[in-house]
Amino acid sequence: MYTSPLREPLIRGNKNYKQVTDDVLSPMAGKPSKYWYAGITLAGIALLFGGWATFRTVFYGIGEWGLNKTIGWGWGITNFVWWVGIGHAGTFISAILLLFRQKWRTSINRSAEAMTLIAVMCAGFFPLIHMGRLLLGFYIFPYPNTRSLWVNFNSPLLWDVFAISTYFAVSLIFWYVGLIPDLGTVRDRAKTKIRKAIYGFLSFGWTGSARHWSRHETVSLILAGLAAPLVLSVHTIVSFDFATSVIPGWHTTIFPPYFVSGAIFSGFAMVLTLMIVTRKALNLEDYITLNHIESMNKVIILTGSIVGIAYLTEFFMAWYSGVEFETYAFFNRAFGPYAWAYWIMMTCNVITPQLFWFRKIRRSVLLTFIISIFVNIGMWFERFVIVVTSLHRDFLPSSWTMYKPTVVEVGLYVGTLGLFFTLFLLFIRVFPVIAVAEVKGVLKSSGEQKKITDHE
Amino acid sequence: MNRYITAYYLDEEDLLKGLGQLKAKGLEIMDVLTPFPVHGVDKALNMRRSRLTRVAFIAGVVGATLGFGFQAWVFTVDYPINIGGKPFFAVPSFMPVAFELTVLFAAFAMVIAFFVSNKLGPAAKAVIHDERITDDRFLVVVKVGDGEGEENIKEIELALAEAGAEGITLKV
Amino acid sequence: MVMENQKFILTKKLSTLIYGMIGIGVLSLAVSFLIGTGAERIAANLLLNTYYFLALGLIGLFLVTVHTIAESGWHTSIQRIGESMGSFIPVAGILMLLLFVFGGLHLLYEWTHEDHLDEILLKKVAYLNAPFFYIRFAVYFGVWVILAHFIRKYSLLLDKSGDLKYYRKFRIFSAVFVVTLAVTSVTSSWDWLMSIDAHWFSTLYGWYVFSSMLASGTAVLIILLIALKRMGYMGHVNNEHIHDLGKYLFGFSVFWAYLWFSQYMLIWYANIPEETVYFYERHKNFSTIFYVNLILNFVIPFFALMTRNSKRGSLILLPVSVIVFIGHWLDLYQLIMPGAVGGEASGIGIPEVGITIGFVGLFLFFVFRSLAKAPLIPKNHPFYKESLEYHTQY
Repeated sequence: MYTSPLREPLIRGNKNYKQVTDDVLSPMAGKPSKYWYAGITLAGIALLFGGWATFRTVFYGIGEWGLNKTIGWGWGITNFVWWVGIGHAGTFISAILLLFRQKWRTSINRSAEAMTLIAVMCAGFFPLIHMGRLLLGFYIFPYPNTRSLWVNFNSPLLWDVFAISTYFAVSLIFWYVGLIPDLGTVRDRAKTKIRKAIYGFLSFGWTGSARHWSRHETVSLILAGLAAPLVLSVHTIVSFDFATSVIPGWHTTIFPPYFVSGAIFSGFAMVLTLMIVTRKALNLEDYITLNHIESMNKVIILTGSIVGIAYLTEFFMAWYSGVEFETYAFFNRAFGPYAWAYWIMMTCNVITPQLFWFRKIRRSVLLTFIISIFVNIGMWFERFVIVVTSLHRDFLPSSWTMYKPTVVEVGLYVGTLGLFFTLFLLFIRVFPVIAVAEVKGVLKSSGEQKKITDHE
Repeated sequence: MNRYITAYYLDEEDLLKGLGQLKAKGLEIMDVLTPFPVHGVDKALNMRRSRLTRVAFIAGVVGATLGFGFQAWVFTVDYPINIGGKPFFAVPSFMPVAFELTVLFAAFAMVIAFFVSNKLGPAAKAVIHDERITDDRFLVVVKVGDGEGEENIKEIELALAEAGAEGITLKV
Repeated sequence: MVMENQKFILTKKLSTLIYGMIGIGVLSLAVSFLIGTGAERIAANLLLNTYYFLALGLIGLFLVTVHTIAESGWHTSIQRIGESMGSFIPVAGILMLLLFVFGGLHLLYEWTHEDHLDEILLKKVAYLNAPFFYIRFAVYFGVWVILAHFIRKYSLLLDKSGDLKYYRKFRIFSAVFVVTLAVTSVTSSWDWLMSIDAHWFSTLYGWYVFSSMLASGTAVLIILLIALKRMGYMGHVNNEHIHDLGKYLFGFSVFWAYLWFSQYMLIWYANIPEETVYFYERHKNFSTIFYVNLILNFVIPFFALMTRNSKRGSLILLPVSVIVFIGHWLDLYQLIMPGAVGGEASGIGIPEVGITIGFVGLFLFFVFRSLAKAPLIPKNHPFYKESLEYHTQY
């Protein structure tokens, strides 16, 4: 297929197919570097802190948290929504960008999807722990029981159960189906018998037959078609948790698309944070190029600006509605006791991504890394602002109060960060971080060598 | 005992060219093994478009019906309960769960059908003709029956060589 | 068959048809007055159609610009159609201004009745007042018309010379247009549509209207493309391009349904009287249209366009596009009429059908005039060759 000379190559360095395999799989074969050990040690410590906090919560109860009668949802739900949001990028990249035929997706989709799965696991932890009794978590599923009761299908929290578990399950099979051919590659290059047996088992007997490939493509495409509305539905339903209520600041119809766009925004920020480190550590700069970083930054401007418009719309409508509670809730957000959180959110989410309008900044690895962390912070504060500032001034001034997290809540959050990085570090040791077969598929049309032949 | 003649190409464009020539000669190719999907191979092998999409559609319809029907049954027949003054048959409330089940059923049914139709699975044993087909080789496999004479085999090998394939080998 | 310098020529037959349609429109407007149709109903119809066809123009230009900044290759070959749709923007602006100045503003918008404002509307006076309304009106159209002018200009200059410096300018103006439209499409829908029900508010409204227009604009693009192909033009466009447009129509229809559901469900669930009053009125007096709207705009395109083959030819795609075009007209109808005219005085009769036919004619007149001005193929566009050789795998 013809490619315009205006397009930059997606894979640098004049690679052939064999080099692609070698470059991507070599980090899996050797011994991990000392940075890897340092990383996993730090993550392990964070995980231990989280373990301690989990123990406190389960053993002593939710009283260990800083919640009170007015503010029943604090860091727990904030972290839940934050993690689910981060978990949106992977499936967005592999599903929606596949449908839009964005070839640059092939270099980042594998690890972004892995990140999605891990982030959704971290997210799922918070509702479970908030129930207090982890072992009774299965109560949330409708099953025939001796109390002859069903779950409440009118509750958005229950919709969440279905949305998150479907999202996790479908993302998992989507990721795994894409992984199978690459696991076949790992199997065929394995040096030891044990490795061969393990990857032989995991690769499901993949042979690379043309018939299999044809069906594989159909399955990937239809899964993408199914996953695309699924991605939208998950954060939509998360937003319903808030928006179906009558709490000023929560009940607003723009929430569903605005949450989805915020989720993709934060997800891409996290992908950038991880990929900028990974490409350096695993020498994958030829595959995850500045061009990829620039494309992701463009998605960040787009989604960041949508979020910005939504903030302003909400603010304007709060005044326009003429409802005094609504107006007060937003005034309180911006100028009340939690104003600092609001302005952190505004700066990080609305102002910093606008810097990406400059091509120089879009293509600067260091600045992108810094801004991506800003966005991660900003999106955490967005959820904090929505949850806490809307609750802490309720309809009765006598119950107005403030909220501060305890060290146990901090521990749970840090613990999930530890879990996230531990699992991600294990992932890059065990699975190929780049979709080898997919990159080979676009090598001819988007690699550097194609450019040379075209100009002849 | 089946025997196979295999030969490889190092580039997908050569493969497609070669397949065209082999097809013109009327050689029946059993399979083509490639490291990534090569467009055009499906045409050269006269493959039909996959019908897995139908599985997804049917499973999706089942999921939607089941999801919606179950909620409706619970709240109108089995255990009607007034929640926040909502009607028992609260259609908008049933939509999210019905949607999620549609996607869940369609996705899983299709992936299971994919594994079954390809005979892939955790315990499946791969017939590996050449370990490098998952790396950078594009392998053409021709099946040779038991009764096939040496002459025929020679002929096939010659045809493959003429079509530019390398490393022609007969495997038992 | 690719004829690189092919230009569109308006045939006698076609122009007669267009003039006939415009004639029907003018006649129906006159007849509506004569048979004593309420002034509100006529004003509401004029607002409906000026807004609808304005939005089609904006979406035409939006599709061109958004594909330009996304560096999409395939879209290049149909770029001219979107550009030509954009030529209707100033016409709609003039018509809308005439409507508002000659009494429409007072007839349509309750907040203009300055002596009878209630407590809630008094709070909104800072935004909902006639001078500010006209200032915003001027800003919207000023920005749109200027940007549309430059986008078209650089597109044509690029086509003449193939100089990449024009391509860069084309892209910059495209980006500015997309950003501007993201804001103005929302605020203008508040001004012209949401403020009809002046007490009611919904934060999602702007995006909902935009998604509706996006689906409809895509449908119109498909209709125009297929019509041009049948007239023997656009030989360089094949089923692959039509397939992509079909996927858009499918996707945007689903997206519209998603936003419709989000807005409806949240208002239904929270059950706050100030908000539910909006849908109460539509359930009570416009219940047929309420459901027909969903069937035309979601159910039909969703099931009809689900298979691959239906999107790859005009057999199914063309009728579905027409249905979606009518469907979103109805959607706009039920956004405007309940507030502006009310259940008893409104209906679908000569004013609605006739005036709309007139607007279709007027729209086609300007689109075809603009199409005839430049070669149909942007042959010097840097992505043009990609667009020619392109085929989708899925």
